[in-house]
Formats: sequence, structure tokens, C-alpha cells
Amino acid sequence: MIVAERKPIAELTSRLAPYRRILVVGCNTCVAVCSAGGAKEVAVTSALLRIALGREHPETRVDETCVERQCEVEMNAELAPSLGNYEVILSMACGVGVQTLAEQFNTAVVIPALNTKFMGRPEGLGEWSERCAGCGNCVLERYAGVCPITRCSKNLLNGPCGGSANGRCEVDPERLPCAWQLIYDRWVALGQLDRYLTNEPAKDWSSSLHGGPRRIQREDIR
Amino acid sequence: MKPYLVLGCDRSASRALADLCRTGYVLPDEVEYRTLPCSGSLDVLYILRAFEQGFERVLVLSCNDDACRSLDGSRRAAQRSARARTLLSEVGVNPRCVSFRQISPTMAADLCIWLDEFVQPLPAEAEPEKAE
Ligand code: SF4
Ligand code: SF4
Repeated sequence: MIVAERKPIAELTSRLAPYRRILVVGCNTCVAVCSAGGAKEVAVTSALLRIALGREHPETRVDETCVERQCEVEMNAELAPSLGNYEVILSMACGVGVQTLAEQFNTAVVIPALNTKFMGRPEGLGEWSERCAGCGNCVLERYAGVCPITRCSKNLLNGPCGGSANGRCEVDPERLPCAWQLIYDRWVALGQLDRYLTNEPAKDWSSSLHGGPRRIQREDIR
Repeated sequence: MKPYLVLGCDRSASRALADLCRTGYVLPDEVEYRTLPCSGSLDVLYILRAFEQGFERVLVLSCNDDACRSLDGSRRAAQRSARARTLLSEVGVNPRCVSFRQISPTMAADLCIWLDEFVQPLPAEAEPEKAE
């Protein structure tokens, strides 16, 4: 899922200061699961904004709502009838949701409330880790199912570097396992350690964001 | 509107308060008391809404750790009170405006002291130390 976290309230209040009619719009999908922009976080953020903005301008109106998936135009349609009441939308979705609202509705300014961080997974309560950078040409089968692009601090496709010690990454041994130790351990477990010796040629990054904005078109489902 | 809000667990704080009131005690005028069915039902939003409505301070009264009938309710109430303090400090509210205490039904005398303290002005926030 997409993992995000809320911006500091001070940053939001400074962006919202010129406005008196504000609609906070959450998203009930990825950002709800990572406790950043679902109905609960929308309610908490709206309450904080009312307290902060109401001090100087008690007439400021902060309303709140949540759509199922803000990255889909159809699901935002329910917002249209009430949008005339607002000068600004504070989107609590990932960057995709923010852009979808901005593209879809041109009567109100759209401001992001979250910092979209990465594609990752939960590691227990209140912790998420990055697992995929969307490189566009997945090579996980060559790395025993461990992504060296996101999990090795130096993104090494032929590792490890000289800094791997006791299974930990030299960049942050407390927090990070060495991705190449994980790859090694898994090849051992699978009885295919010889694959560890394969030298990978340089990766073609044209399928990634470095190759320009990407789009998928499927004629069969259009 | 009363400026101070006490949120007390039905199993402990409300019983201690009832006990205290049987001695002739009357809640200070500035204090509104609300009963929670269990302090574990306290949500961060409940505290934030209180400040939104104009309350200036909130005191959460929860059972002692080993006496919570929902086992984890007191721990959750403590966590949520701490979270509310962090969130409120983001919007410039003194975090000491949210207090958390643990109580048993037999602690009427302690409750009397705590309520008295609760309505006293907060000590001024310490100035950040100036660099030499
Ligand atoms: S190899 Fe590319 S697509 Fe596969 S997990 Fe890593 S970043 Fe994602
Ligand atoms: S120690 Fe391991 S994870 Fe860290 S940079 Fe080197 S190879 Fe990558």
C-alpha cells in the first residue's frame, strides 16, 4: 500500500491562513490503513485546525468528509454538489488523490495535508517499511524475493558492499538489516546459493520514473 | 460555560465522587463532570472536541492498572491522554492542560485534593533556556 504521514499542523495552518471556508477530504483506502488520512485522522486534523484557526478567525469553517478512493474520479463525484461552499480543499489522500481532486474540480484550491512516503507494508502496530520503488521492471526473482533497490541503502544490484557487519547495514545498523544478508540467507534456505554468484548487468532504468512519466493502457479492458 | 472538564471512569472515579458528595462536598462551579463507561472508551477525539467546545482543561480519571475491568482500559486511557497532549501542543495548547490520574472507588479524599488542584491556575511554562 501507499504509506504517508500527516504534515505538521503549523505547516497546514500557514497554508490555510488566507481561507475561511475549508473542506478536509480524507481517503478510506491506503492512507486510512496506515492511519494517516482516513476518517479518524480527518476528524482529528479538522478538530486541531478549528482550534488553531478559530483563535484569530472564529468565523473560519472547517468541514470534513471522506471518500472511498480519492484517486478515482468516480468516487469523488459525491463531493461536487457541496464544493461551491468552500474556498479550499485540504486533501488527506496520497499525492495521487490530491492531484485527482485538483484535476477534477477547478473551483477550489487543493492543498495536500500528507507527505506521501513510499510503497510499503506494516511491520506491526504504528510501523511501516518501504518495500517497492515501482522500478517498472521487477527483478525480485533474481534476488530471492528481497528488493535490493528499496532495501539496500545503496540500492546495490550486486552486493553486498564492504560495510555489511553481523547481518546489519552500516548505514543504520540499529534499524536496518543488510538487504544482501537477507538475500544470502534466503538463497541458503532455498538451497540455491549458487545464484548468489550471478553477476547482474547494469539495470535499464528507462522503465522507472527516470524514463519519464509512465502510463499503462490495456485495450482489452477499455 | 464551565472551563474545566473531568472525564471519570464509572467503576472508580464516579464512585469515589459519589462517596465524596455524601460527605457534603460540592463540585467547584467551574468543573463539569462526565462519566465514562470505562476509561478505555476514551478517544483522543473526545479530548480534542472538549477544547474545540471551549473547555480550557481536561482531567482524565481512570482505574488503577490492575483494577480495570476491561484489563487494558487504563493503559489505553493513559496513551490517549498522552497523544491528546502531543496533538494539542501542535496547536499551541499547553500540554499540561490535559491531566491523567488513576483512582480507586475508595479514594474520595485523594479526589477532593486533586479537584482542588485542578481548578488552580497552571504554573507558568518554563522559559526555554537561553544559549550562553
Ligand atoms: S525490483 Fe522494482 S518492482 Fe520489484 S520490488 Fe524492487 S522496486 Fe519494486
Ligand atoms: S550494508 Fe548491506 S544493505 Fe547496507 S548498503 Fe551495504 S549491502 Fe546495502
